[in-house]
Amino acid sequence: MELERQFRRCLSEAIPMIIIAPFAKSLINNKRNPKNYPYWDKLIKLTHEKIVQVGVEGEEQLVYDFKKDLSISELRKLIAECRIWIGCDSFFQHLAWDCGKPGIVLWSVSDPLIYGHPENTNLLKSRDYLANNQFLWWDFTEYNADAFVKPEEVIKYL
Amino acid sequence: MPDKLVIFDDNDEPKDMRQEMIYQYFFQMLDIKKIPWEWVYAEKKGQHHIHQKANEMGFDWVWRVDDDAIPEPDVLGNLLGYTTIEKVGAIGGSILTPPLKFDTSKSTGKVSDIDKEPNIQWNYIKQSKEVEHLHCSFLYRAGVHDYNLGLSRVAHREETLFTYGLYLKGYKIIVAPHAITWHFKNPEGGIRSESKQELYSHDEAIFRNTIGFSDSTIVVLNAGAGDHIVFSHILPEISNPVIFTCYPEIVAGKSIAEANALFGDLDQYNIYKKMTQWNWKGSLEDAYRKLYL
Repeated sequence: MELERQFRRCLSEAIPMIIIAPFAKSLINNKRNPKNYPYWDKLIKLTHEKIVQVGVEGEEQLVYDFKKDLSISELRKLIAECRIWIGCDSFFQHLAWDCGKPGIVLWSVSDPLIYGHPENTNLLKSRDYLANNQFLWWDFTEYNADAFVKPEEVIKYL
Repeated sequence: MPDKLVIFDDNDEPKDMRQEMIYQYFFQMLDIKKIPWEWVYAEKKGQHHIHQKANEMGFDWVWRVDDDAIPEPDVLGNLLGYTTIEKVGAIGGSILTPPLKFDTSKSTGKVSDIDKEPNIQWNYIKQSKEVEHLHCSFLYRAGVHDYNLGLSRVAHREETLFTYGLYLKGYKIIVAPHAITWHFKNPEGGIRSESKQELYSHDEAIFRNTIGFSDSTIVVLNAGAGDHIVFSHILPEISNPVIFTCYPEIVAGKSIAEANALFGDLDQYNIYKKMTQWNWKGSLEDAYRKLYL
């Protein structure tokens, strides 16, 4: 039902589009990346706009329109077309910043003062959750869902 | 007084020197003078690894002295006097190996003359002079430039590469009078105990490759795709960049493998290692700015 609802939404080009870039690079040790937002399902349900997911092959599909393995120029084109985007601390937030399109970044253990861009809405629940060492591989940081803001909070900034 | 004396023991068979009576006297003197000291058993990977450890210990200045070099008592004090000059990176005095046979009166101390002249430190230095590289023993500003750990264990040219690197970063390199160190060149210690010509050739190639890029800013982007994008915003500010990149579709350049072959060690360009060293709290973009501008 949810996918069908999203499919119908996709058909209507008149509805503004939101890009979601849900996942950071997978870790070498196959653990869950501590930068990956845990509440995407709920956030998507609360979002009443057309959503396009971008990512790479192997990542979980969260919405009907999942564009995988786009080239950088294809991503740039898509970013130019979207109303806003939501992502975690990953390559995408840097690319969208480079394109001059502000969006929402959902932070947890990495520090937005180091890796973020002030042009974006950087949602960090608390600096208490930041990793002590910001410069190690993220494989060594434990996953903590509590470190993220809740979807109800995110939706206020859409 | 120095903050600390650190002795790096790179011997094949390290001993506890606290059991040696002559050394006990030295250690007692340091205790009496309230100079902290530490004996570090090194990793036997070559003296450049030892120097880099000292470089990263968090001190403002490091005076490096080999075990076959005997500084006269006033050397450190005299070298230290030059540290108040604006943007000084390193200061060295005369490094004398008897019998003195080199006429250094016309030596420039420039890297471009390195094949044509005896090192300016190989005889008495009459007056202070700005040069481009130093030899053997000197006082240097720590934590600014890395030793090249890509050199072989003979570490041929390690001090030339290091001090020239400081020079290229805009720091003054000075030779100073009244700072004499006698260098006896122990034939069984350090690089002279190694005879493999290929190790020297390997290091010489790194040296030649490095000075071959003197007029450029070498940029090595051995980080993630997002980091490349952030870096691209400071690229216009870099003069004459020669770029080695992991993601040429984001920042065009040569391959990282080529950089590795040319320069040996790329750690000095690792932005994450640098941010760790600097205890960085600012933005990634500013970290790149600090590294390259």
